[in-house]
Amino acid sequence: MAEETTLSNLDDEDTQKDKYLTFHLAGEDYGIEIQYVIEIIGIQNITDVPDMPAFIRGVINLRGKVVPIMDVRARFDIEDRAYDDRTCIIVVNIDTTEVGLVVDEVSEVADIPESQVEPAPRTNKNTELSYIQGMGKINNDVKILLDVHKLLFSGEMQELVENLEEQ
Amino acid sequence: MSMPLDDDQIEIIQEFATESRDMIEQLEPAIIELGQNSDPETINAIFRLFHSMKGSAGFLEFDHMTRVAHAAENLLDMIRNGEIELVPNHVTLLCAACDFAKEALDMVESDYNDDAMVAPADEISEQLHQAIELAKAGDEPQEEPEEESAEEVKEEPASSEDDFPQMEITDEMRVSFVQEGNELLQSTEQGLLAWGENPEEIDSIGDIFRNIHSFKGNCGFFGFAQIEKLSHQMENILDRVKSGSKLSVENPADQLLAALDVLQQAVNNISDGKDDTVENIEQHLNELQALTAPLLGDFLVEEGVKEEAISKAVETQKKPVGEILLQQGTASTEQVNTALKKQQENINQAKAAAKPASRTKTPAKRQDIRVELGKLDSLINLIGELVIAENMLIHNPDLKGLELENFNKAGQHMSKLVRELQEMAMTIRMIPVSGLFRRMIRLVHDISVKAGKKVDLELIGEETEMDKTVIETITDPLVHLLRNSLDHGLEPPDERLAAGKDEKGTVKLSARHEEGEVWVTIEDNGRGLNKEKILEKAMSKGLIEGDGSDMTDKQINNLIFAPGFSTAAQITDISGRGVGMDVVKKNLEKIKGKIDVSSTPGQGSKITLRIPLTLAIIDGMIVRVGTATCIVPTLSMLEAFRPEMDQITITPDGDELAQVRDNFLPIVRLHDILGKKPDSQQLADGILIVLESQETRFCLFIDEILGQQQTVIKGLSDFIGNVPGVSGCTILGDGGVCLILDVGTLVDSAESKKIKFEETKENK
Repeated sequence: MAEETTLSNLDDEDTQKDKYLTFHLAGEDYGIEIQYVIEIIGIQNITDVPDMPAFIRGVINLRGKVVPIMDVRARFDIEDRAYDDRTCIIVVNIDTTEVGLVVDEVSEVADIPESQVEPAPRTNKNTELSYIQGMGKINNDVKILLDVHKLLFSGEMQELVENLEEQ
Repeated sequence: MSMPLDDDQIEIIQEFATESRDMIEQLEPAIIELGQNSDPETINAIFRLFHSMKGSAGFLEFDHMTRVAHAAENLLDMIRNGEIELVPNHVTLLCAACDFAKEALDMVESDYNDDAMVAPADEISEQLHQAIELAKAGDEPQEEPEEESAEEVKEEPASSEDDFPQMEITDEMRVSFVQEGNELLQSTEQGLLAWGENPEEIDSIGDIFRNIHSFKGNCGFFGFAQIEKLSHQMENILDRVKSGSKLSVENPADQLLAALDVLQQAVNNISDGKDDTVENIEQHLNELQALTAPLLGDFLVEEGVKEEAISKAVETQKKPVGEILLQQGTASTEQVNTALKKQQENINQAKAAAKPASRTKTPAKRQDIRVELGKLDSLINLIGELVIAENMLIHNPDLKGLELENFNKAGQHMSKLVRELQEMAMTIRMIPVSGLFRRMIRLVHDISVKAGKKVDLELIGEETEMDKTVIETITDPLVHLLRNSLDHGLEPPDERLAAGKDEKGTVKLSARHEEGEVWVTIEDNGRGLNKEKILEKAMSKGLIEGDGSDMTDKQINNLIFAPGFSTAAQITDISGRGVGMDVVKKNLEKIKGKIDVSSTPGQGSKITLRIPLTLAIIDGMIVRVGTATCIVPTLSMLEAFRPEMDQITITPDGDELAQVRDNFLPIVRLHDILGKKPDSQQLADGILIVLESQETRFCLFIDEILGQQQTVIKGLSDFIGNVPGVSGCTILGDGGVCLILDVGTLVDSAESKKIKFEETKENK
């Protein structure tokens, strides 16, 4: 088992480096590292879970696995929008945790070499909470590259986990 | 050793660790049993287990474990050969060795070596050695110190590395010696094992003999006197076997294997750059010597027959020695007869002592394979998915209105198979509780020794099967309950005698199927729960209000599960801190189990853990509120009714209570918990279901009941963590996710309402 993972990791590094899955969200283009992406599915019926932060929409059944769903619009405090047939769920996996991310529209897998990535701009907001990993440039387009780990775990989610641990 | 380990090695080590843990689990009860009756079979079983552990540990170079196992083995060996008496201290020591092994295994699993265990290993093996020495000193020295061993002592310093100037042994030579030695020993071992199974095959002896002989030769060349001597002795025995003469055991393969281990250890030492000194080599020598029955000639000499005459007779030995001597007139009939008798006696004696060894047969192999739990879970998941997929296929909307006779037949057939597959998958996770129960033997032994009480532990229904996770969850509760029974429940022997009871207390641990649950019962015949004491304590801790006179026995008994509760006047190192029972309650809640306590003063108490058969499936009622559906475990449901408005009371705080016969039960609105909009806010428009958890009841307000169904429980994602009011979720036939309500936590919110209501009622 362990051997397989190391092998596939090596593989990942070779073929998945600098590749980003890009998607639209409220008029902006975002990208996340392809290595975290498991699959992309259409929007489906989401079961509500009580007592969750607003951006956790609930859970879905992904072939027998129960996967929580995070609405990225809500996560960024962007105004809600009714889901349509372009709305997608990007299922990502970090450290064996699978989470579905609801985005407006998935565009493509783009190659953004390191040289084309600018560091994240400093904002007035608490930098701890910034989900931005960097700004990727493709020709004249700019993609906001997201730090998936922070997107999933920082801020309110972290508090949630900490609360649980205290309990 | 310091080389980075590759995955294969890690896998081997992990396998070793799980295997050894299993062995220790078997070891502990066996050791305790040994303390009660030293049955040779038991000793052998223990010996074998230590031996295999030593073997595997040695192979993986966990030297400290090997050392301890070896020391334990030595002790056991002496005991089984009757050289020393078994004393209770030995049992304790062996248990300590088990504990050490457990610790070492933890270490091994995390660090892949046992280097950090040096100190404890030293301590324990030292203790074991001392025990041997002590026991030996107690007995008459059985054999006179032989010349050989005396020589050995002299030679020992000479054989050490530094004192080797006379022969130049280069490192290369050493390496090749070790290499060749390993090969020889290995093939010897294989040969011995094969021969041990088929003792008739004398041919293989030749090979073994040759191997040992070459090994001896090598040792001699390098000057490793000790192992040379041992291999020489082995050679002697093999020679006897080859020539078909008598040995004190029918098949000395076991003893030879033991000796072989010593040789292997010596070779390992040498390869580490040390000398060939191996502890207890003398003992092994003696052991092997004991195997070769003394020759008739030796006894004849004792009887006063001249030695030359005998040797002469032996030279011409075509007939039995005795006859020849008679013929030659050098010995009288009497002398020969007594000698013959003596020889027979001696053989018999040695046989009796060594008999257990010859019976050493590997127990019937269980047909088990080890599977990672994760794989099993994903198999069960897949099967669950299959059920859903099957549903979607058979009830596919595209097929509606079509006459499909053959398709339906095939569909039915498939449904049946899928059902069977699902049932099968569920049973895979079930394991018998015997492992858990057997672990308690050790615990009871330890506590009874510590607390100075005499206890009989009875195990009933060990074959009852439970979900593996359930078994893991009730391990701690069982430990605490047993501790309590032993420490508080059972009286000390003198008190028991005074009360007219048998001096020895009994603790019964049983498991059985009942009412669709598994009931695990801990029953003792001790003094029972002291109600006055419990009440007094509860009042002083502020756990109850009033003097408790209105409480039922059941309620009083349940007080013992409150956190921080303990009636023990003194905190012993066994129990009394009042944490244990709280753990019991918490863990049982986790698996949706219940606890029943009953007790008769002076006669004992009985605690029953009622555990659902499996965690994986529950019988659930699907309920709807607004657009959301939820599942309520049927087990906690008592009744459902459509309330009339006059049944409802509203407190000044706005809390609602429903009157169900004589009781006022608080109402919990499900739509509030889920944050949903119900069909109607009016209680009279919906349905109330009465739920019970841990003796408290409340009503849950819902819109309607949709149906009942067996549901496979799944955890909500770790990402979300625990959600209050929700214990998990399941996937319905249509592929949607449905939350399962946690009645336990819902009770808490209902409880607070009720308490407030009662307070206001009293104030009025």
